Amino acid sequence: VTPPVRPTRRRLLGYVGATTAGAVAGAAAGAATARDESAARPEYAVTGASVSPFGVHQAGIEQVTPRSAKLLAFTLLPGTDRAALARLMRLWTADVVALTAGRAAPGDTAPDLAQGNVSLTVTVGLGPAVFELPGLASRRPAGLVEIPAMRHDRLEPRWSGGDLLLVVAADDATTVAHAARRLVSDAEPFARPRWTQTGSWRATDADGKAVTGRNLFGQVDGTGNPASELFTSTVWAGEPEWFRGGTTLVVRRIRMNLGTWDELTRSEQERAVGRRLDTGAPLTGKAESDELDLAAKDGDGRHVIPANAHARLSHHTQNAGRRIFRKGFNYTDEQVTAAGVRTESGLIFVSYQASIAEQFIPLQTRLDQGDALNEWTTAVGSAVFAVPPGYQPDTWVAQSLLA
Amino acid sequence: MTARLTAATAAVVALAACATETPRARPTATPTPSAAAVPAKVIVEDAWVRATTGTKDRSMTAAFMTLTNPGEKAVVLTSATSPVAGMVHLHEMAKAGGRTVMREKAGGISVAAGSHQHLRPGGLHVMLMDLKRPLKAGDEVAVTLAFSDGTKQALTVPVKKFTEEEEHYHPSPSKTPARQ
Repeated sequence: VTPPVRPTRRRLLGYVGATTAGAVAGAAAGAATARDESAARPEYAVTGASVSPFGVHQAGIEQVTPRSAKLLAFTLLPGTDRAALARLMRLWTADVVALTAGRAAPGDTAPDLAQGNVSLTVTVGLGPAVFELPGLASRRPAGLVEIPAMRHDRLEPRWSGGDLLLVVAADDATTVAHAARRLVSDAEPFARPRWTQTGSWRATDADGKAVTGRNLFGQVDGTGNPASELFTSTVWAGEPEWFRGGTTLVVRRIRMNLGTWDELTRSEQERAVGRRLDTGAPLTGKAESDELDLAAKDGDGRHVIPANAHARLSHHTQNAGRRIFRKGFNYTDEQVTAAGVRTESGLIFVSYQASIAEQFIPLQTRLDQGDALNEWTTAVGSAVFAVPPGYQPDTWVAQSLLA
Repeated sequence: MTARLTAATAAVVALAACATETPRARPTATPTPSAAAVPAKVIVEDAWVRATTGTKDRSMTAAFMTLTNPGEKAVVLTSATSPVAGMVHLHEMAKAGGRTVMREKAGGISVAAGSHQHLRPGGLHVMLMDLKRPLKAGDEVAVTLAFSDGTKQALTVPVKKFTEEEEHYHPSPSKTPARQ
């Protein structure tokens, strides 16, 4: 999935952090091979890595879900045309190249916060409005479409839309906050912040071994993501020409009603998702990676994995082979009011697919119609982006679109 | 022009914490024989120019960057030019009489073999003078660097806002040191 990382002379000579080229290559290989085999994921792929921002694809997509992340959406200022957007992309590229190498971003007012080997990645996305700028209307990827309102959605403008997106992710929230501040500051002449979502993920077990991770329902979340060739065909777009090696990104803020979820018995919770809570194994299997037996019935003639179980309805065999590559970040939003602390919990759902139109929307439509989990989950935010292909030391993000 | 140069050169400014050149880490790799066979150009990274909008003196500003010399011989940044500046000097902040002053770096900015020079606020910088237009955050300016090995590098450098050390790059002749 990832092209071989060639340690350039420039990298070897890096003056901060002495980036370990071997670790970079190892991390990439781990991400490429270990998606379906969580037990086999190398530990170094999860934390403490130095992830090169260069490649055929942008960093931060195929890598293991990091511990801490911010998603920042922006609204283009009225004067930001194609040429100005290109300047912003060059600015952001330079910032990302420096920060991910552990160097301060150019003009950084707090340069000492920059630190290497913290698995920092920054992924840039372009919202639908970019393709309404003069000169860009004909370049819009066909797969980048708005998601129609779903029956169970309760979308709020404050969590929805966006003309640009940054996914800033790292091992720790301090690194994420520092990088995000720099990127927002440099964007000021071009775009203003629209929404920010902050989340976390725990992709290691008590021994530091890589695991899939859990959402706040307690479910193992992310099992069965496409890997290897399936990952490639699921995620990377082939056209239009400028977009080759790019992908589309869906961000959904999914509020989870933990109060009513807690009222269920453990068995009811497991039947809603179709998997065991402890291991993530399908109710018809023993291990997380076991394939679902959707035909299996119990002594009463009922499906072991119920007809409305999330794992059944989202399974590729039930969706004409459609897949997406999903990631998630747990969020807990606490607001202090005169009446006390009001807490909202949920999942910042992120999915990558070659086409939102052909992959995400049909899948989500089916889930909206029948998923048992709909009773405890509500999408309150939704946004779509085109993620341009990767860049090299002498190019910049979205250059193939904007140059 | 002469008067302005004198003012800039003689400007007395507050001592900045980063005025002393202290690379944060030493290079850890030595050039390989195959790499050394190719003439190694200086690597320019993290370049930026300080915006002039909102500042007192819009006639001058500075460009900052990191120069890395992957070669086996020292290379000197001997001069720089920019279409936005009538005059470009290479400056250093140096201690003189207990104070730090900005002055032209005699002989240019040398980058030792296998080492780095950080051009940054409070230290070495490329001084852009006689600016022909205000530079605002989000602009880009062309800067061409000339090195002692005969190479030139044409850069497109982003203009960024920076709030620190207003007086360093817009020295006011009447200004007395606010900090010691």
